[in-house]
Amino acid sequence: MSEHRIKLKVNGEAESATVQGHTTLLRALRSMGHLDVKSSCEAGDCGACAVFLDGEPVNSCLMFAAQANGCEIITVRGIGTEESLHPIQRQIVEKGGVQCGFCTPGIVVSAKALLDKNPNPSRQEIRRELAGNLCRCTGYQKIFDAIEAAAEEIRQ
Amino acid sequence: MDYLFVESVDEALKAAQSPGVAFLAGGTNLVPDVLFGRKKPDLAVDISRLKELRFIEEHDGRIRIGSLATLTDLLESDVVRTHALPLHECAAEFAGPLVRNRATVGGNLLDASPAADLAPPLLALDGRAELVSLEGKRSLSLDEFFLDYRKTAIRTGELLTAVSVRSLEKEDCSGYCKLQLRRAMAISIVSVALFLRIRGGRCTDVGIGMGAAAPVPYRSVGAENCLRGEIIGKEEILNSANAAREDAKPIDDVRASGAYRRRMCGVLLRRLLQNALNTSTGNLSA
Repeated sequence: MSEHRIKLKVNGEAESATVQGHTTLLRALRSMGHLDVKSSCEAGDCGACAVFLDGEPVNSCLMFAAQANGCEIITVRGIGTEESLHPIQRQIVEKGGVQCGFCTPGIVVSAKALLDKNPNPSRQEIRRELAGNLCRCTGYQKIFDAIEAAAEEIRQ
Repeated sequence: MDYLFVESVDEALKAAQSPGVAFLAGGTNLVPDVLFGRKKPDLAVDISRLKELRFIEEHDGRIRIGSLATLTDLLESDVVRTHALPLHECAAEFAGPLVRNRATVGGNLLDASPAADLAPPLLALDGRAELVSLEGKRSLSLDEFFLDYRKTAIRTGELLTAVSVRSLEKEDCSGYCKLQLRRAMAISIVSVALFLRIRGGRCTDVGIGMGAAAPVPYRSVGAENCLRGEIIGKEEILNSANAAREDAKPIDDVRASGAYRRRMCGVLLRRLLQNALNTSTGNLSA
């Protein structure tokens, strides 16, 4: 059984942890206190655990923590906080795109990745880029409305 | 499970000399397999940052794709979209964006699911696999690579470094269709990839790759033989679709019955052929 000391940046802060070879990045992040990263299917099917890894949105349940050594991670808290919400976060609340809220962190990560690449996405493009994020509560439409509204807000 | 990060192909090969060693690239299969106890490697050798294995290049009528090219790399590649369209269309239907950012070409093939999405287009496009070991290199045709259910021709201590496919010419026809129960994030019920070369009104070459219709992904040779050398009309298309049904060895599972899969092998191939031949440029999927 190997133990590994990993160093990473999370939301701009240098952090380190000791993990085992088989510890997933998701479980490591949560044990480091990043409870805004949600654990749901742990199989890469639901997207609740999505984070940015060196600028790319990924399922954190699909990596061993040791693979993230030296990497930069952004979680939903790094996209915006209660004091300073990102337009995506504000709009998803205002448009009724949050019910239980469990899928929301992963959705915000995927939405941010989309709008960074494509500031004016069509509804179809939004649906495709959010294909990896499941929501059991809202039926998705208000989430897509929120992303459209956020895109417009950012463009202005 | 032990974990080892390596910085070169040579280091990777040296670390992988025993059967209990697994190469770790995107981790999209291996990590959940380990978490849920389906795989129990003694050691995971992390090759995910070997930049020399992450490339897409065109040379001499073939496109070479490094085994660490991600599905996103495939999807965003102009070379793949322009000269290997079925592969682009396959990447567009593969899982979802979060998975595509990590999943690799090599990983999809070596996981060796009968439904491995990349296999049918790679097979249809005359795919070859390049393997390297401490003893040297070897390459083989992909239709010799999938030996049996979840068993490939790779040996202990070998690393899959690249695959290559033919580069399609402007006049070539192609198609891809993945039958699935959702519009994303779904394992295929059946998938079909088609390459068709018509010159002087006659089919001079053809490749038909089939997925999730047998214990391994395969080329439907029977279906190909109905087309090769022929002037393709309604009769040839129906014969080819029939042969595709006969070549299939599908099972019943949670997603579909074997009988339905068998029937869909014919339906999907027929549609792809009809689409390919109905347009002058011919590059449409069903």
